[in-house]
Amino acid sequence: MSFDATNLELAANPESPATSAGNPSRAALLWQSIERFLSRAGDWLNPILVKETRQAIKSSQFTITFVLVLAACWVATIAIVAWIGPRIFYSAEGSTLLAGYLSILAFPLIIVVPLASYRSLIAEREDNTYDLLSITTLRPRQIISGKLGSSIAQMAVYFSAIMPCLAFTYLLRGVDLPTIALVLTFMFFWSLGLSMVGILLATLTLQRFLQVLILVAFVAGLIYMFLMAIAMSGTLAYWGRDLWSPNGEAWYVIAALATAYFTTFALAYFAAAGMITFTSENRSTPLRLCMLIQCAAFIGWMSGAWIADDYAREAVFVLASMAGAYWYAMGTMLTAERPTVSQRVRRRLPQSFLGRIFLSWLNPGPGTGYMFVVANLTALAILCWIGMMASDILPTRLRTWPSFEELSYLLTIGWGYIVAYLGIGLLIVGTLRRFAFVTMLATVLIQFLLLLAGFGIPYAIKSMSLELRDADYSFLQITDPFFTLYHLLDGGSADGPVLVLIVPGVALCVLLLNMPRVVRELRIIREAAPQRVAQDEAELHPPPEALPQSPWDEPA
Amino acid sequence: MIRTSTPQIELRHLHRVFDRTHAVNDVSFEVYAGEVFGYIGPNGAGKTTSMRILATLDEPTAGDAFVDGFSVIDDPDRVRRRLGFMPDYFGTYENVNVTEYLDFFARAYGLVGQERLRAIGEVMDFTLLGTMAHKPINGLSKGMKQRLCLGRTMIHNPSVLILDEPAAGLDPRARIELREMIDRLAAAGKAILISSHILTELAEISHRVAIIEQGRLLAVGSVAEISSGVQTRGTARVRVLRDADKLAHWLAERRDISDLKLDGDLTTFSHAGNRESEAILLREIVEAGFPVIEFGAKHKSLEDVFLHVTEGRVQ
Repeated sequence: MSFDATNLELAANPESPATSAGNPSRAALLWQSIERFLSRAGDWLNPILVKETRQAIKSSQFTITFVLVLAACWVATIAIVAWIGPRIFYSAEGSTLLAGYLSILAFPLIIVVPLASYRSLIAEREDNTYDLLSITTLRPRQIISGKLGSSIAQMAVYFSAIMPCLAFTYLLRGVDLPTIALVLTFMFFWSLGLSMVGILLATLTLQRFLQVLILVAFVAGLIYMFLMAIAMSGTLAYWGRDLWSPNGEAWYVIAALATAYFTTFALAYFAAAGMITFTSENRSTPLRLCMLIQCAAFIGWMSGAWIADDYAREAVFVLASMAGAYWYAMGTMLTAERPTVSQRVRRRLPQSFLGRIFLSWLNPGPGTGYMFVVANLTALAILCWIGMMASDILPTRLRTWPSFEELSYLLTIGWGYIVAYLGIGLLIVGTLRRFAFVTMLATVLIQFLLLLAGFGIPYAIKSMSLELRDADYSFLQITDPFFTLYHLLDGGSADGPVLVLIVPGVALCVLLLNMPRVVRELRIIREAAPQRVAQDEAELHPPPEALPQSPWDEPA
Repeated sequence: MIRTSTPQIELRHLHRVFDRTHAVNDVSFEVYAGEVFGYIGPNGAGKTTSMRILATLDEPTAGDAFVDGFSVIDDPDRVRRRLGFMPDYFGTYENVNVTEYLDFFARAYGLVGQERLRAIGEVMDFTLLGTMAHKPINGLSKGMKQRLCLGRTMIHNPSVLILDEPAAGLDPRARIELREMIDRLAAAGKAILISSHILTELAEISHRVAIIEQGRLLAVGSVAEISSGVQTRGTARVRVLRDADKLAHWLAERRDISDLKLDGDLTTFSHAGNRESEAILLREIVEAGFPVIEFGAKHKSLEDVFLHVTEGRVQ
């Protein structure tokens, strides 16, 4: 049988009016033109979104959840209206019903959709379709976007199911449209964020037992989030309208949360895409850029808080502590990168003198990753130092904690601890790599174990020693960053001068020991693409024809 | 077979090590446009590993592989545009019919509009799946699924096809149909690398074969070339009109003959040598005055060659 390709879309639905009628009517022609338009529009949709939407429509999971949501809405409507009773005629009860409906909506949005996203990617691996997908010309980001798009499509259907109920809450009064829109937006982004987390978790490992562990933890987290979502959406349903007051500081909080949300979302998105990207591709630079943007956004918000709080040193302290923890966590992953740079990555390395000076820290590699963290930490410490000095100069209310001295110790010694621990970890991993292949997970574990040893061993010795047990702080604890920094901020400034010499001194030594590795990575220079690649590139993207520049020029 | 200067597939000193297992050990060969290249070896020999490296699903520990001149390590995206890989598993989705399945992969390969519809139509015609267009994939027979997978592999019209055990589990009719499809694809100028355990079929469709064992390439060439390089004994039979016992005595005296058996007028024996020596032997029998009415020699099949070359070791 010869297959009629041109009628493929129509053939997929033999009952369509265009094929069932002998002489197509005006309605059938209209239907055909709509279908053609949709088919053309569908060409530009993400293939995974198209496929998963087709699958979802036919799946029993989707049907059952959809019917359950509808049924629950009906039951809730009847039950709440019955509970309200005659008050419904004179009392504004929209908020009560809205809170009830949002609790129902939270189940598919917070539990079903993120779990489906997680399962969707895991099932691709279990059913052996992931290999088939990864050898297509779909890019990893398209795969992740397709999965997210599928989550959004599912959310849209659940939103549409509950929409008549939301209209009903508005008619009952007590809740305004902006509040409804705010709550729905909040639920949407919450669900989308959790779906992104689900997708990221699905890329982490191929080992079945680890996948089971992750799934259990993820489900537990989703249940917790579900309860949180019920509580928060209920709160917003009742008191959301208070946000609209012109002096509401809540908007600053929402804007700060939105900044944190979108930058973290981008980080998770690029991390998930990186996890499924072929190893020769550059997976590091987009993540480093995300980290820079996230840190810059955090600095921006904290600067705002610092100004709003009369240039108080607490804001500088919070910025330094949180950003330090952030860069340590990111550093454990950046130092876990593979030390080899593929030919493919080398073709796109910065070429110019200035490019090599400023952009080489974005190149993949554990050495450049380490230096990237050190550079960011240093810039952050300088910034905090400036803020701290400004706090002393600018008019401010009387502040007692932390003092200038305490904060300066925190900045210097905190910087030293992070640089030293990450650097020692990098040296250990570099040595291990001479004998065996060290995975990213193993490197991260080594970094954390190192920190744990630095904190745990002195603690264990102190606990077991009769002399030291009751002592406040001794230099035995110098490897313990938590206790040392706490001690300095808690009246232990007397030990500061010694610690300032030792900790940053050790950090500088470790930094110097790592310099050969960093220099080795920086000496990798850009390489020209092979002739075959250049030829293919020219065929794929031919250069535009040269247009005449003046009336005397010959046309090309 | 179109022997161009640049091979469509090239493996260059390929190595793949998993922990302590050297799955692929210094494997090098080339496949040209229009050539069907059989890749044979016992289970665990390293066939699938090398095919997965070619398909950009795995990375070599050392060496490189090229598809149409592009490295699988450095240019996997360009390789993917030119390559169709059919693994030894189906990889199907639930709640998807045949058309939707092909449509998805056509979209995934960046085909849009009429180009996509035409590609699906051509694949449907080629694989004779037109009648199954709206059937759910999970309801297809194994043979139909295999056709569908071949269709998926060629949906973007790749110049290189890598087929890992495509005939496994198929009934004889489906195998013949698959063989015909592969012949047609090779005639259309595609370079095909195919692995199979059904050596008789592979011998029929392959222009050249490579034998791999324990990750090492033992032989590369046409079946005849490899056979000629393999010192095995051939089997021959002679039927004479009369004096069969005398012929048996005559043959027994020869040093190049062994395993002599006489069954009525039919004498069977094994001998060392090639086709030329068989012709000489026949002439000598006739010149000796024996009335030969039938002479047959069983030549070394791919199975014989395979069994001789490999030692059945598994890593």
